[in-house]
Amino acid sequence: MSISASQQPLLSPQLLHQLERLELVSRKIFRGRMKGERRSRRKGQSVEFADFRNYVAGDDLRFIDWNLYARMDRLFLKLFLEEEDLHFYALIDASSSMDFGDPTKLQFAKQLAAALGFVGLCRADRVKIESLGASRQRPGPVLRGRRSLWRMLEYLDGVEPGQNVPLDQAIKDFCLRNSGKGILVLITDLMDKGGYEHALRFLLAQQMDVYLIHVLSPEELDPDVKGDLKLVDCEDSDVAEITVSRPLLQKYKQTLAAFIDGAREFCTRRGMTYLMTSTETPVEQLVSNYLRQRGLVR
Amino acid sequence: MNFTPMLAWWQWAILAAIPPLIVLLYFLKLKRQPLEVPSTYLWSRTIEDLHVNTIWQRLRQSLLLFLQLLLVLLVILACFRPNWRGSKLTGSHFIFLVDTSASMSATDLPQTRLEQARQEALRYINQMASGDAAMIISCSDVAKVEQPFTRNRALLRAKLAEIQPTQRATDFGEALRYAAGLANPSHTRLEGEDQVDEAQPATLYMVTDGGIAPITNFSLGNLEPVFVPVGGSGPRNVSIASFTAERNPEKPGQTQAFARLENHGAEDVAIDIFLELDGNVIDAAKVTIPAGGSAGADFALQEVENAALRLRIDSDDDLAADNVAYAALNTPRQAEVLLVSPFTTNDPLQLALTTSNAAKLANVRVAGPEYLKDKQYRQDADGGTFDLIIYDQCAPEVMPQANTLFIGSVPQLETWSAGEPQGPVFIVDTDRVHPLMQFLELGKLRIYEGFAVDPPEGATVLIDSQLGPLFCIAPRQGFEDAVLGMTIRGVKDDGSVQPNTDWPIRRSFPVFALNLVRYLGGSRGALANTGVRPGQPMEIRAHSPVEQVTVRSPGGQSTTVRREGQNSFLFTRTETPGVYEVREGTSQEVAQRFAVNLFDSRESNLAVAPELTFPYEKVAATTGSEATRRELWKWLLLLGLCVLVFEWYVYNRRVYL
Repeated sequence: MSISASQQPLLSPQLLHQLERLELVSRKIFRGRMKGERRSRRKGQSVEFADFRNYVAGDDLRFIDWNLYARMDRLFLKLFLEEEDLHFYALIDASSSMDFGDPTKLQFAKQLAAALGFVGLCRADRVKIESLGASRQRPGPVLRGRRSLWRMLEYLDGVEPGQNVPLDQAIKDFCLRNSGKGILVLITDLMDKGGYEHALRFLLAQQMDVYLIHVLSPEELDPDVKGDLKLVDCEDSDVAEITVSRPLLQKYKQTLAAFIDGAREFCTRRGMTYLMTSTETPVEQLVSNYLRQRGLVR
Repeated sequence: MNFTPMLAWWQWAILAAIPPLIVLLYFLKLKRQPLEVPSTYLWSRTIEDLHVNTIWQRLRQSLLLFLQLLLVLLVILACFRPNWRGSKLTGSHFIFLVDTSASMSATDLPQTRLEQARQEALRYINQMASGDAAMIISCSDVAKVEQPFTRNRALLRAKLAEIQPTQRATDFGEALRYAAGLANPSHTRLEGEDQVDEAQPATLYMVTDGGIAPITNFSLGNLEPVFVPVGGSGPRNVSIASFTAERNPEKPGQTQAFARLENHGAEDVAIDIFLELDGNVIDAAKVTIPAGGSAGADFALQEVENAALRLRIDSDDDLAADNVAYAALNTPRQAEVLLVSPFTTNDPLQLALTTSNAAKLANVRVAGPEYLKDKQYRQDADGGTFDLIIYDQCAPEVMPQANTLFIGSVPQLETWSAGEPQGPVFIVDTDRVHPLMQFLELGKLRIYEGFAVDPPEGATVLIDSQLGPLFCIAPRQGFEDAVLGMTIRGVKDDGSVQPNTDWPIRRSFPVFALNLVRYLGGSRGALANTGVRPGQPMEIRAHSPVEQVTVRSPGGQSTTVRREGQNSFLFTRTETPGVYEVREGTSQEVAQRFAVNLFDSRESNLAVAPELTFPYEKVAATTGSEATRRELWKWLLLLGLCVLVFEWYVYNRRVYL
């Protein structure tokens, strides 16, 4: 008996094993709130030696290198690397349009968010996963440590499609509630008739390290439709009447390519990382290959 | 274009309901199937781009509808059975027999009859289906195969255009024999085709005005005759039926010219006649000719010798060729006649040959049978000195180079033989047409004894008796030998002379002698040559022994003719009517003239015959083609099928939006 893709667990043991070796990487320096497993450029308390410096009055006597004082009769202070935590946010578009494909785009987004969140949890980063538009009703929990994996998965299981909120509105809400800096992964299909540009600009203003993962189903990439059709938009019930023909399909593909190129160019110009993926691509492959190449994980 | 609806009213109603049904179905088809999609965002942008050329898109959208409506329209149109009257040739082998005789030059149509005949034949050639074979024969009194059987219609058209008119009479006999011989494809090889062994019937199209001599001794066999008449209705024509010039027997020194004119039109006409001598008008007359009748005209001339007379009528009729006639006047020449007879004195034949009329025509010498052994005789006989030698109860060992008449004897040739003498002899029949027998009344002739003559092949029996042929004439190498199976006077055993017949005391005897001198003596054209018809050979007798004569045609073309027999020349190029001049040897003097005239009532009568008479059937004038209905529905259905295939292609390729 086969299990549909949507009913499979979000993270398989093999994937978890694979993800344990990875860590999230930020291209920007962020001040963590709590001590974490992440070395900071700041010096602090850890086991990893960094440098010496002259003692000045008021320094903690516990860090004076007494051996060096014995040899050189001068006081030197040993500096250790500070280890800090990283803020990792994963935003999932849970609109009705994400409930398409097999697996659904939402399922794929959940899997991806869970995988990246697990990487963050393993490295004691501050992980927050939230569905767009749910900031008010059902804010995502702030998670830390491996123990929080089950909470994270519980939250993700509770994310249901149908939260049709305009993209820019949802992100604006998110930005207002989460002022911390860090890595933000936005997983969406960008199918918002209001456009995505305004929404992404909010994230830019937060000075976050933004990753946009554009999820599309194979049905959207290569539609298998025939005949005279009345296409009904699942979100706003908008209707488009088409008579499928080869020129129309060609034109659709041209439009789609132009849409993807437009999003990629918008992100690249503004320092955001754009990655378009199909739901056919396995999450393991996406994390270990594509996101590694993009520098999100290592 | 006609329409023959082939459906009942309710069937039409069903058919008429189909187009609205298609339109209805078309709109039903547009009730699109709803399909939920994640977003119409990209689709809307795609459609917006394509809607830039909306009108064209709409047209393309409606292409299927148009094609379906067109298909139904074609089917409905096919059900109407549009058709038009066409014609179709029957058979697969055709023979076009085009009349080129003089009457075909008539201008009673907007064009000449020959031109019309060409167009008629062309019309049939154009109706030929591919694979049909045809041949073209042009004929007047002779036939010419212009084009043997071929399937090349371009070639047929080209050959048809090359047919030229002639001034000859019409005789289909030769052409029909050609056609019958060539109708059988086993004797005819198609151009570029393997020989066809199987005999196939052919359709014979006779494109003519029907003025032809009765066709005898001909069986159509495989030929299917079709008479295609050419000519207008109510043609007008006045013709010169004959024209001769002779010396006035009553007034020596005077020449008389006779003309007979015929009116072949439907109205009486008054015609001006002009007589020209060497190009100058010397006399004129006006005659009135009743419709369908004839009239004569005579002109009295002064002594004319060695000249050409031309008679012209001033008539604006449909055939110009018979409005002019010619007569040639030659210097009289006496025939040289040798009478070899046992009776050198007081012989009736000698008397008859020396009457005043006969003396003008002939110079008669009389000799006894012993003269035949004379050296002089042999020299004269071999040299052609005599025109006629009459052997009375004797025969030469070698036939002379002259015409001969044997009386009571036969030539010493294997081809001639004589029966046993018997008596009395009764004349059963005479040939009144032959020039030798003209004007002779021999019904009550008494003949005590005679014998049947067995002539060679080709001979003509002039007098038939109860014993058999009594008087025959047969050709011999350019000469003619006449044999009379009885004597005029016989010698008894006791040496006394006894008449064998009462002919010498009858009126017909001197006439016979005159015929003899005129015909066998070659003095027919002593003054006025009777002339020939166009195309017929003219036998010219030279006055002096020469090897060749030069004949100058009316067109100025000179032809040299070499000697055929003794002083006999055969001239065949008599195509053009007019006066032909004959020069003997290298002399520049015109020795004699002869005239070529149409003189054919059949050709002059331009009325189109209603039918052609064959020995066993009559062929009525017809259009020659079966009127058939040319249908269009097959093509319409074929077109509909093409539309259907295209519609299916369009539907499957979805080349529309």
